[in-house]
Amino acid sequence: MSTIDNIPVRHEPPTAEAGSKRSNPLAHVFDELVKFCRSRSLFMLHYCTGCGAIELPPAMTSRFDMERLGIQPMVSPRQADILLITGYVSIKTLKRVILTYEQMPAPKYVIGICSCTVNGGMYWQSYATAKVLKEYMPVDMYIAGCMPRPEAVISGLRELIVDIKSGRADAWKRYYQNYDYYLGNQQKLFGDNWQTPTDVIAEARHYGLLTEQTLGEHTALLEKHQRPLQALEMRLTKKEKQEL
Amino acid sequence: MSKELNIWLDNLLEDIESVQFQRKSSRRVRVDVASEALPALLELLQGHASYVHLSAISCVDWIDDNEFELVYHVWSYETRSLVSAHTRIPRDPGVYLSIYDLYQPAAFFERDIHEMFGVYFEGSPDMEKFILTEWEGPPPMRKEFDSEAFVNETFTWEQYHPQWLKDIEEEGGGITTRPEDVR
Repeated sequence: MSTIDNIPVRHEPPTAEAGSKRSNPLAHVFDELVKFCRSRSLFMLHYCTGCGAIELPPAMTSRFDMERLGIQPMVSPRQADILLITGYVSIKTLKRVILTYEQMPAPKYVIGICSCTVNGGMYWQSYATAKVLKEYMPVDMYIAGCMPRPEAVISGLRELIVDIKSGRADAWKRYYQNYDYYLGNQQKLFGDNWQTPTDVIAEARHYGLLTEQTLGEHTALLEKHQRPLQALEMRLTKKEKQEL
Repeated sequence: MSKELNIWLDNLLEDIESVQFQRKSSRRVRVDVASEALPALLELLQGHASYVHLSAISCVDWIDDNEFELVYHVWSYETRSLVSAHTRIPRDPGVYLSIYDLYQPAAFFERDIHEMFGVYFEGSPDMEKFILTEWEGPPPMRKEFDSEAFVNETFTWEQYHPQWLKDIEEEGGGITTRPEDVR
């Protein structure tokens, strides 16, 4: 997990039979259909972190028009598929990014735009920014550049579509499979009593992705101080009742 | 009117002994003043010379002189000119008077300087943490705080040397100035 070579950047489109030797021609039809539909209807979370966000309005709107690829902005993480990290992430922001990421329903895809998400970019000396994004959450694709132009963003998103269609974009599974690693890096930065409202281990169990690396010393530390989630109490206050 | 006010102000400031006065251009004045005289100068500028807008307070850490330099930028809409009042305070204990009673926006700048440099402003309404609410280290803009050492200690380094860059370097191109060359 330490070299840049591991970053899944692909240039050649995959061949039609890549990794799917099937005996029954109808066996995977439904899977293929689901993958196709998934890749052609992507909702991109409207959450921007750094300067790279300025390239998204032209990419989304009429000039470059992301919507012709089926990609639309979405306001809520609960209904989004793609999390774009557009530029440097300060440590404060990273906490919010992780909360947001964990709230998104699987399958979810993370794209790191700009050099800053790779290794800190021009802010590598700053005390305030987190440097290597993939230490804290799995990243499907990086679009390097400072900043990448809308053409580069769109070409990256097209490659993501190809990856989703061929089933290669499965970084979200790694978060569940190696949760202990990611949580350890998060704890190193945020302190030992770091806790998110999402129960990632239960979700990993739900998706059937619980592996040996999911649990470890860091999750044990989390369980020590983790408070169970409780529903928020919702009731009218006295004052509101009187008004009604 | 506005020109007269400028001339009047120039003459006045030149006459005051403890004030070093420099007119940089028709719209900029630099004033160096002792720290105990600064509130009086700002009161004069605001009350009698129409400098009602505090644009910013900036702080410079002169670690070799063991001093902080505070720069108060005040703007006049009438004369359309900016006065930068420079003053120096000792780095230790780094305590100065707030000008909140003269200019209320000062609370914002003073809180920021307190957070970034650790200068305490007496009489400022709020000296709590401002932006770095989740930061527990020393004030990060002080010169003795080594940001690079902090980063090397806290974060891992990720080398970015992809194939396309290697190809360019083989042809004689690539990065011309490396960070270590300019430091």
